[in-house]
Amino acid sequence: MSVSDAITLRTKVKEVAAKTETVRSDFTQYKHIDFLSNDIESSGQLAFKAPDMVKWEYTKPFAYSIVFKNKTLYIDDAGNKSNIDVGSSKIFEQLNELITASIRGDMFDEEQFSISYFTKGGKSLVHFLPKDEQFSEFIQVFHLTFNAKGEVDEVKMIEPSGDYTKIIFANRSLNQPLSDADFAN
Amino acid sequence: MRILLISISFLLLGCASYPTKNGFVPTATIERANINSYFSDTTKDYVYKAKIDAFDKNFGGILAIKKLGNMHHRLIFTTEMGNTIFDFTFKEEEFKVNKILKDLDRKILINILKRDFCALILENSKIDKIFQKESKTLKKVSILDKKHFYLSENGQLSKISRTSNGKEKVVFSFSEINDDIAETIEIIHRNINLKIALSAI
Repeated sequence: MSVSDAITLRTKVKEVAAKTETVRSDFTQYKHIDFLSNDIESSGQLAFKAPDMVKWEYTKPFAYSIVFKNKTLYIDDAGNKSNIDVGSSKIFEQLNELITASIRGDMFDEEQFSISYFTKGGKSLVHFLPKDEQFSEFIQVFHLTFNAKGEVDEVKMIEPSGDYTKIIFANRSLNQPLSDADFAN
Repeated sequence: MRILLISISFLLLGCASYPTKNGFVPTATIERANINSYFSDTTKDYVYKAKIDAFDKNFGGILAIKKLGNMHHRLIFTTEMGNTIFDFTFKEEEFKVNKILKDLDRKILINILKRDFCALILENSKIDKIFQKESKTLKKVSILDKKHFYLSENGQLSKISRTSNGKEKVVFSFSEINDDIAETIEIIHRNINLKIALSAI
């Protein structure tokens, strides 16, 4: 991708992100582990409310939901509830920030990432390499795919081993009202 | 005198081996045999939703086990969102930590996991002794220098007990067996506060 195309993409994504108050979307997650014959597939719904409330609700093949809000991670594992103070864990705090940013696509922070731009099948693909060593032990690189509107279609988180988690979004609705109850867990 | 006899009986029973205590009698011994075929098919991915209760904390994840060859398994535990927590290889007598999160990289924890997962996936072993009680068979096997008893009912493995001084220390229960896959597995430690529950997905 040319430098001017990269700047255009960045501007477009930031504009979309700035206008994004809420997101509701279906997602399908593929966990690729090199030694397994098949990817582990799970799916569910995502809800996001600006500035930083996120709920991932897995419905298949198990019931599990995780809510990030007020610097806390609330987990409901098929009725077993627990929470983690993410403020006490740098990794979780960063992961939370990144997930929130990646939903809106607004991850263009040169201080945190080395960023490179590509074009793939008519879509824009951006690689974000975390600069923090402790974090890159967890995720070596994020690949975000943007559609023509500047919305994130796909997030791929690649681990140092090469195994990865790919999340594909579908049926996205923007700025539809979401209440705090949608983020209860 | 009667009280003395009862006391001696209790004392003897107290010192009795795990099979004797449970009414099993020894039968002929065999050298080496299959003890667990729940992780024995190289064409299958064995994937479980895991719930771990450890020291009053509970957390979950996905456990995936794959047989890669004879006496060779790989096992990975990830969060539901896919981040790897640990990744182990068991190959013959060798155990290798391919990855473990820094926060969990403690020798004592790795040893517990190594013992539990080694007992969970071990397919063949030298059998020290076989005991019988009606349709139930108990095979005594030594794994990493600890006594383990494999209980089969009508030829199907239902329980593994790791024992010490005739008492169960760790119990592995297998249920809802379909097509040689144990859909539900529970690993319960009696001496420490640790329970691992697995449900096939």
